[in-house]
Amino acid sequence: MAKAYTPGLKVTASTHHEAHRVLPIPGEVKVAEGDTVEADTVVAETFMDGDITPLNVANLLSAQPGDVPELMLKKEGDAVEKDEPIARSKGVFGMFKAECRAPASGTLETVSSTTGQIMIRGASIPVQVKAYLPGRVLEVLPAEGVIIENEVALIQGIFGIGGETSGTIMMACSAHDEELDAPAITPEMSGAVVIGGARMTAAAIEKAREVGVAAVVSGGIDDSDLREILGYDLGVAITGTEKLGITVVVTEGFGEIGMAKRTFELLQARSGRMASVNGATQIRAGVMRPEILIPLEAGKTADSEETNHTESGVLELGTPIRVIRDPYFGLIGTVAALPESPQVLGSGSKSRVLDVALESGDTVTVPRANVELIET
Amino acid sequence: MSRVGLRSVLILTTLCTLCASGVVVAAMASNSAAAPPEPPTNLIAVDKPWDGGGVVELEWTASVTPDIKGYEVFVHQMVSPLVGELETNMQADAEAEDQTQEILEGEGVAPEDADQQARVEAENDVTLTTNEPEWTSMGIVLGNELAYTATGLDKATPYVFMVRTIGADSTASANSNITTQLIPVAAWFDGEKLPLFCILGVICGAVFLFVLLARNGMPMKIRTIAGLKAVDEAVGRATEMGRSILYINGIQDMDDLQTVAGVTVLGHVAKTAAEYDAKIEVPTSRSLVMTAARETVQASYFTAARPDAYNPDLIYYVTDEQFGFVAYVSGMMTREKPAACFYMGAFFAESLILAETGNSVGAIQIAGTAQPSQLPFFVAACDYTLIGEEFFAASAYLSGQPDQLGSLKGQDVGKILVGILIIIGVTLATIASATASAPGLAGLHESMTSAVDFLVNTILGS
Amino acid sequence: MSSASPDIPASVKVILATDCGSTTTKAIMIEQVDGVFRQTWRGEAPTTVEEPFANVTVGVLNALTEIQEVSGRRLLDDDGQIIRPATADAGCDIYISTSSAGGGLQMMVAGVVREMTAASAKRAALGAGAIVMDTIASNDKRRPHEQIQRIRELRPDMVLISGGTDGGDTKKVTEIAELIAPAKPRPRFGKSYELPIIFAGNVKAQSEMKRVFGDGGFDLKITDNLRPSLEQENLGPARDMIHDVFLEHVMAHAPGYDKLMSITDAPIMPTPGAVGDILQTIAKGRGINAVGVDIGGATTDVFSVFDGTFNRTVSANLGMSYSISNVCAEATLPTILRWVHIDMDERELRNRVKNKMIRPTTIPQTLEALVFEQAVAREALRLAYKQHKEFATTLKGVQQQRTVGDTFSQQSGGETIVDSMKLDLLVASGGVLSHAPRMHQTAMLLIDAFEPEGITELAKDSIFMMPHLGVLASVHETAAMEVFERDCLVFLGTCVAPKGLGKPGKTCFSWSLDGGARGSGELQFGDIELVELGPDETAEIEIKPARGFDVGAGNGKVVKQTIRGGTVGVILDARGRALALPEERSACQAAMSRVIDQIGLYPEPAAEAVAQTSGSTR
Repeated sequence: MAKAYTPGLKVTASTHHEAHRVLPIPGEVKVAEGDTVEADTVVAETFMDGDITPLNVANLLSAQPGDVPELMLKKEGDAVEKDEPIARSKGVFGMFKAECRAPASGTLETVSSTTGQIMIRGASIPVQVKAYLPGRVLEVLPAEGVIIENEVALIQGIFGIGGETSGTIMMACSAHDEELDAPAITPEMSGAVVIGGARMTAAAIEKAREVGVAAVVSGGIDDSDLREILGYDLGVAITGTEKLGITVVVTEGFGEIGMAKRTFELLQARSGRMASVNGATQIRAGVMRPEILIPLEAGKTADSEETNHTESGVLELGTPIRVIRDPYFGLIGTVAALPESPQVLGSGSKSRVLDVALESGDTVTVPRANVELIET
Repeated sequence: MSRVGLRSVLILTTLCTLCASGVVVAAMASNSAAAPPEPPTNLIAVDKPWDGGGVVELEWTASVTPDIKGYEVFVHQMVSPLVGELETNMQADAEAEDQTQEILEGEGVAPEDADQQARVEAENDVTLTTNEPEWTSMGIVLGNELAYTATGLDKATPYVFMVRTIGADSTASANSNITTQLIPVAAWFDGEKLPLFCILGVICGAVFLFVLLARNGMPMKIRTIAGLKAVDEAVGRATEMGRSILYINGIQDMDDLQTVAGVTVLGHVAKTAAEYDAKIEVPTSRSLVMTAARETVQASYFTAARPDAYNPDLIYYVTDEQFGFVAYVSGMMTREKPAACFYMGAFFAESLILAETGNSVGAIQIAGTAQPSQLPFFVAACDYTLIGEEFFAASAYLSGQPDQLGSLKGQDVGKILVGILIIIGVTLATIASATASAPGLAGLHESMTSAVDFLVNTILGS
Repeated sequence: MSSASPDIPASVKVILATDCGSTTTKAIMIEQVDGVFRQTWRGEAPTTVEEPFANVTVGVLNALTEIQEVSGRRLLDDDGQIIRPATADAGCDIYISTSSAGGGLQMMVAGVVREMTAASAKRAALGAGAIVMDTIASNDKRRPHEQIQRIRELRPDMVLISGGTDGGDTKKVTEIAELIAPAKPRPRFGKSYELPIIFAGNVKAQSEMKRVFGDGGFDLKITDNLRPSLEQENLGPARDMIHDVFLEHVMAHAPGYDKLMSITDAPIMPTPGAVGDILQTIAKGRGINAVGVDIGGATTDVFSVFDGTFNRTVSANLGMSYSISNVCAEATLPTILRWVHIDMDERELRNRVKNKMIRPTTIPQTLEALVFEQAVAREALRLAYKQHKEFATTLKGVQQQRTVGDTFSQQSGGETIVDSMKLDLLVASGGVLSHAPRMHQTAMLLIDAFEPEGITELAKDSIFMMPHLGVLASVHETAAMEVFERDCLVFLGTCVAPKGLGKPGKTCFSWSLDGGARGSGELQFGDIELVELGPDETAEIEIKPARGFDVGAGNGKVVKQTIRGGTVGVILDARGRALALPEERSACQAAMSRVIDQIGLYPEPAAEAVAQTSGSTR
């Protein structure tokens, strides 16, 4: 019964990762099984139905909707050009004919005799899916996409903004608890994945954006800074579609909080390597966390020592954990005691608690709901 | 108000003339008894400055004869030939207007018919009055007073004045010197109207101030007008039921304010109809209204970004005939069963016919008119009714433009001011009449009466 | 629904019910004890709809295992199957479940006029327990191509189309169908899923619907018009159809639900639908007006029954964990801080709010954190109730009957039917309300957020059992009613609050309980007072409001009524309605402090309490 209900985020030096790269609608897969792909290789492509432009021909021609089909100059399925006449009224004794021109180019999809409305479908919109993760095509899902596999170092962040990108890892901070501010960002970092330490400032992100940095990863961010970058107060944690030109990943949380030492060291050790970063976060049903994938050097396989996945969420004495709620927010320690019976908290409510031996040597008591496992 | 005022002025003038001639006769009769006193000298007449015209101030040096009763002031109006005819016409006009109003209020007859009738009757009623170009006594002042203010004069004709001394035995002296000709013209500002000017200033200032405030983003709250709020509902009903909307803009022409207000509301209704893509039909009883309605509706369809849905054939002219129009509209209602009917404008006897027909076909009906006699019918038979002022405020309400909202708010200040004046006046007058017969409160009565007088004569003007 | 309820209530002794929420699956056991049904044991486990399990039954079985452990009764056999029927010490007779996991039932609705048929369609969908993602109407101020764009973005589980009264409009409703068909909204579940379209509109338009949705990709269902005429709303058939489609299509495609459906004895209901059912049953049974609220992590549901009319709204982005940041964005921090009597650092709070959003399962450890969280809850509830009031209205587009007397008081259609004065019972559920350390806090949260007027009973759902009972009512009504009365509701007490505003220090009302035997007094405007009246106790209260105040009988009129006590007691609230707190921060803090002292909201934490209010090691 000693379970922590929040399994922490994955931070592994080496793991086998499979990326599902799937089109939203059926299309054509561009690569074959066994191919080696780079991050920006297009693996699948399709054409999405074009935009629809409705037009009420009956009103335009002052005709009855029922007469519209016979007034049409184009049939369903015909291609139409913008401003091309597509329907003409009969007029009075063959004179004073009114004409109706196409408002957009495309294909005449439907003509309704009930409403007098026609639909013109615009040209198809190409949709491409890139490989994102460099690696080998494990499986081709016909007409849908591919599964790409590789051995990677995987770091999940807690929160991010911006979509998929990739670049070379460059360190901007030398310690895991060093604040990332604007001076740390240099022009050489263009196109790179920049790793900071603790809180990153809005100025730093703004500078990174100017320089052309692909992604910034750091421990924490202030809400006011986030608001400044986004231009609005983020209400719901569903992100990934922002058009900021930069991807931002927060590994620990909001406020002045340093990146977990282990995460920092893991990234530091891989400085100069290529990484794929996705800031998309969805904290809702179907939880999605931002991720940083660093493919291992060719020929290296996943170390078996790291794959000892303990049953997720089990709290035992000595388990490394992090407190995830004030007043001890962000502190790291190990489980020192697991009292069975619930205790009364400062807030007055009763809850099951545990004692945490902090790195500083102090021991504090916190509700079990307020800790998360540091997964290894 | 102004009509009543004019009439009372005329009556007063007539009375004054009659009294004055009586006094002259009396004075002449008692003249032969003793030696007449000396007349006053140095008579000077000055047109009163800062007045509305028609007032002359006279001053003279006292008569050398001691112990006199007083001085009698005489005036002579120089001839102005057209005066008689003009006055008759004015009187007839006023009479005719009064009667038109009576006919309109009493019977459900269209205004121009009523006008015609009234005019004929009025001309028969009014009789001619003429002025005698002789010395006319204006009144007698006491012997110790050496000045007189002549009022009630015509501001366009020249006058001369003369004063006689009235001796202790009521004998009149010879004429004093006659003043030079003087026209008691109106100054560009009448000092007596200063309180009125202040009130006007407050009202205009309020309008101006509120317009400015509104432009600067001060929120202006207008009470919700249920009838206008319900426009969406009525149009929605028509859309859901797949039926049309009927809009009647009254049966008057564009020169009637109510028709103009109706066209404003039509713009709003048509815009809503365009948004819902509902059919709106506007039969009119005046050709000019049809044109105005077409332009308004077209503009609304453009605003709603649906110019393709605008069909001018649905806005058409039927007939000028009051009941011909009503017959057509009622017939159409029973045949096509519109889901929403709007009656916005000037209506007469047809109001109830239209509203009842609309009710019987199950339409949501919204009416708006400033005809007091038709309001009860609309209220009873329609779902919502815009009453008088609400109807005129509709354009400000609907547009939400700061200028219009501000002026509406400013006018409210004026109304509040009027309300306050009425309450004060009524209270003062009540106290004055209540204390009239109370023995110990004579002083209070006096001051109250003078306060009422001040209010009526000075602040409100004549 | 045509589900056959088992006609064997006599032999039913043990009932198991689960509710699969988006984060936790809650299970309760109901047993017959001394001839009456009582809720005896409960258990909960995280919901397992998502990876890595992607099978809802795992969570259900975990929750049942917990009950098994605490009750000592064996419920599952070695294969992990529920043992049925019950024996003396093992198994159960009936197993039922509700579900809102995986985001619940997500629908898109469409109608001709937004305030009329589209509103009715939305009511039908919400009443059935769905989340309405968007409402498409011909007057929703969007151009057709924008509507199409929106339809394409959404991934609804089903679409409900209404429009036109019977014999009325066909053109507009067909036009809307013609927008939906080519836009082909992609369902959430797989490509093989045929998107169900329910048409509940003009009978004359049915053939057109068949034409439009005839060719492939859609599963068109036709049911009775939900607005046969504008004067009439007929939501029943459409609601039933939504339930049927929910089971047939949506549940069948959700991870693990096929298995869950096979083991339940009654059709799985969407959680909010079940809550609505039980609330309607109570309101009807007692002849009262009731409002229920369920504040969750992501959404807040408000249910109301006024004069027999049921309404439900879902405020999609008002919640206490996933959506807490959105509550702060919508209500703004200064507004939230109105309810906080202590000084707090704004920057720190902002970060805390976001941290709660990204780690939604944490609980407040310090008193300060609790005070702030409850302040946020007040605003979330207030906003949700406001949305509910705007939605729960009389029908629009109805012809009015008038007399000349209505000249200056023309009531319009579409007015809200929610009347805080007529409200008799306010039921709270959801974590922040039912898990508040003190019941007083729950009661004050309700009073501050809902501002009940007159005399209103306050209650809370003890362990969020209402969904379970809602389904149970369809199978075994007696059991449901018995458990509801005995175990489900915890009565907090009664709130007495006159409507009206006055000057602080002026008399607001005087009161006496049982003719003064149990106390009496007088309250000044701005005061609040708590009078003890225990659970299961009743007393007759007499209230004499001052001029300008109304407790239900009219301005200044005396009210005498029997009221019910509770764990909190009788709260006499003379702060006036509408509740207005001082604008100025320090005055507002003082006003809040007074309330906190009077009611005893946050007494000093007990000696053994864990962390102190301050004293962070940082």
